[in-house]
Amino acid sequence: MGLLDRLSGLLRLKKKEVNVLCLGLDNSGKTTIINKLKPSNAQSQDIVPTIGFSIAKFKSSSLSFTVFDMSGQGRYRNLWEHYYKEGQAIIFVIDSSDKLRMVVAKEELDTLLNHPDIKHRRIPILFFANKMDLRDAVTSVKVSQLLCLENIKDKPWHICASDAIKGEGLQEGVDWLQDQIQAVKT
Amino acid sequence: MAAASSSDSDSCRAESKEANSKWLDAHYDPMANIHTFSACLALADLHGDGEYKLVVGDLGPGGQQPRLKVLKGPTVLTESPLPALPAAAATFLMDQHEPRTPALALASGPCVYVYKNLRPYFKFSLPHLPPNPLEQDLWNQAKEDRIDPLTLKEMLEGIREKAEVPLSVQSLRFLQLELSEMEAFVNQHKSKAIRRQTVITTMSTLKKSLAEEDAVSCLVLGTENKELLVLDSEAFTILAKMSLPSVPVFLEVSGQFDVEFRLAAACRNGNIYVLRRDSKRPKYCIELSAQPVGLVRVHKVLVVGSTQDSLHGFTHKGKKLWTVQMPAAILTMNLLEQCSRGLQAVMAGLANGEVRIYHDKTLLNVIRTPEAVTSLCFGRYGREDNTLIMTTRGGGLIIKILKRTAVFVEGGGEVGPPPAQATKLNVPRKTRLYVDQTLREREAGTAMHRTFQTDLYLLRLRAARAYVQAIESSLSPVSAIAREPLKLHAVVQGLGPTFKLTLHLQNTSTARPILGLLVCFLYNEALYALPRAFFKVPLLVPGLNYPLETFVESLSDKGISDIIKVLVLREGQSAPLLSAHINMPVSEGLAAA
Repeated sequence: MGLLDRLSGLLRLKKKEVNVLCLGLDNSGKTTIINKLKPSNAQSQDIVPTIGFSIAKFKSSSLSFTVFDMSGQGRYRNLWEHYYKEGQAIIFVIDSSDKLRMVVAKEELDTLLNHPDIKHRRIPILFFANKMDLRDAVTSVKVSQLLCLENIKDKPWHICASDAIKGEGLQEGVDWLQDQIQAVKT
Repeated sequence: MAAASSSDSDSCRAESKEANSKWLDAHYDPMANIHTFSACLALADLHGDGEYKLVVGDLGPGGQQPRLKVLKGPTVLTESPLPALPAAAATFLMDQHEPRTPALALASGPCVYVYKNLRPYFKFSLPHLPPNPLEQDLWNQAKEDRIDPLTLKEMLEGIREKAEVPLSVQSLRFLQLELSEMEAFVNQHKSKAIRRQTVITTMSTLKKSLAEEDAVSCLVLGTENKELLVLDSEAFTILAKMSLPSVPVFLEVSGQFDVEFRLAAACRNGNIYVLRRDSKRPKYCIELSAQPVGLVRVHKVLVVGSTQDSLHGFTHKGKKLWTVQMPAAILTMNLLEQCSRGLQAVMAGLANGEVRIYHDKTLLNVIRTPEAVTSLCFGRYGREDNTLIMTTRGGGLIIKILKRTAVFVEGGGEVGPPPAQATKLNVPRKTRLYVDQTLREREAGTAMHRTFQTDLYLLRLRAARAYVQAIESSLSPVSAIAREPLKLHAVVQGLGPTFKLTLHLQNTSTARPILGLLVCFLYNEALYALPRAFFKVPLLVPGLNYPLETFVESLSDKGISDIIKVLVLREGQSAPLLSAHINMPVSEGLAAA
């Protein structure tokens, strides 16, 4: 990978553009995660609940991501499906400390996976079991169990425990996502 | 957590069933140990952080240890003991200060405990009621030792029976005491001023002047003293006082205090009284045929659940709109308000473990729970808008979340014609035999008729003969003579060789006792031995059943059984009034020997 990076850097190739959908319930930390993935000079200081959706860009080592940061509030969740066509990858964020709404997250994930625009496409899904720093957070293994992630058979998926405020676990997830996208492309 | 994960894996398996359900099972904990009812549940954003908490006025497992519990998500956040059993819990905004954290009011005994930020903030006590002046006078006399405890007791009893103002707690306790304890009690309590205090039975909130979500509210209290009080939430002064003909138990409030409001109070006498602004007495009265078990207002309809397992809809003026019958007793009721779709419906927790949701007369949804639900609450909990919280009779906690895509359709839970219509009638089939028989009847009808009539004549003759014979020898166990209405039957108990023979004798007249009857047993003396074969019957009071027992011993060692006759005779007459024949069973004791 390092070699490839250096090669593309030397050749001054333009990085590939990828559209990513960032989904999850409200207050799960979607905007914070995306903010943390931006270069440090572009990060915003305070994060407010997203209204509708917003578009953000960040770069990984070899890809340039365009993220549709959707609002997770109940009344805006019906907007999600309008962007399913554009999405080449999905980041699904879960608040690990909110055990009560894990069923709601599962329900939204099930409707997402059964949507005609998503169902037959082999797009990678990255799960962030966010807010790992909180005391009553459950582990990423438990989250994957509660969401029945083992039932996803036709799509590559990966779950990372993350702490979006400190930025822990984010890089691992993005690296996995980049590998998957490149594997699909080639 | 274990319970949550198991229920979750269940939901994974039963996915097809889950798909058409409108509810997501968020949490089920049968061991939560929450014993409460709907009036003691409240949802509020207590810390102002957008995360709604559930406030529970818990009665304790046996109604013994009242506790205030605050739940965050599926777990108890704080728990604190309460001085008395809670009657109602409510959350309301007290003032205009920022941040707008609501205060929590808990009615318990004669006080309302107000908590802010989960810390005790204020205790409001109901004002004392004026005591009876006569009673006051008596205790003043006792204080100056001008009256002894016995006369005090007599005078107080006189007041209790006659006066319309009830006695104070102190006098009532005094009246309960034994003679020996009175002196000490009077000495101890005579110097204290007598007080009369009442108890809060129900509590609700009423918006003060604005109808908005975050407007200041007033508390409305219903007391055991048949009064409704409206409290100012900032100063805790009484803004209005209204009186009712009975004790209010459920309260439903609409409108704003400063503009116009309506109070509907369901009372213990089975009536609902509707009061309006500026009316000190009820304006309308709705009389129910049974006691109310819940009162919920849906838009402009008052929905009342009654102990006769039915929901009734009334207008605010007391006109009955509809009645729906429930399949089981209603345990609790509450309002389901889905703001995003503008739906208001009534939830009713039934004794058969169902929770039914009704919009007017139509059944929208039925939730089946593992145990009967005793309290219901629907609203924003945690960060989810449409959450239904239920507690069960055994103290379990069930949390369900309404799916975002779920729409309550009218007639969704409706069933078609009753299932009885689909079952076939049990009409027996006719075979060839029947057809042949009808053919024969058609051909030889006349002969059949004649033969049958002749047989019938003979039958009547024989029946009459046998009946006359039975009357002559008084064989029947029920006496036919109007003068001596009697009934006799005999029971044999035991395996032998000793049997217990019990005669049940009853006088069936309306109001005439029978005197001077005798009982005589006729039996084969070679086979049976009776200690007394002839005895007198006590006076027979009409209606009572007299069991008269004797012991019969079987003498035969060959396993022979015989008949024993019982005759009931009148003294001085030889013809028995009635008799019974007892077929003695074979003595099994001898057979074994």
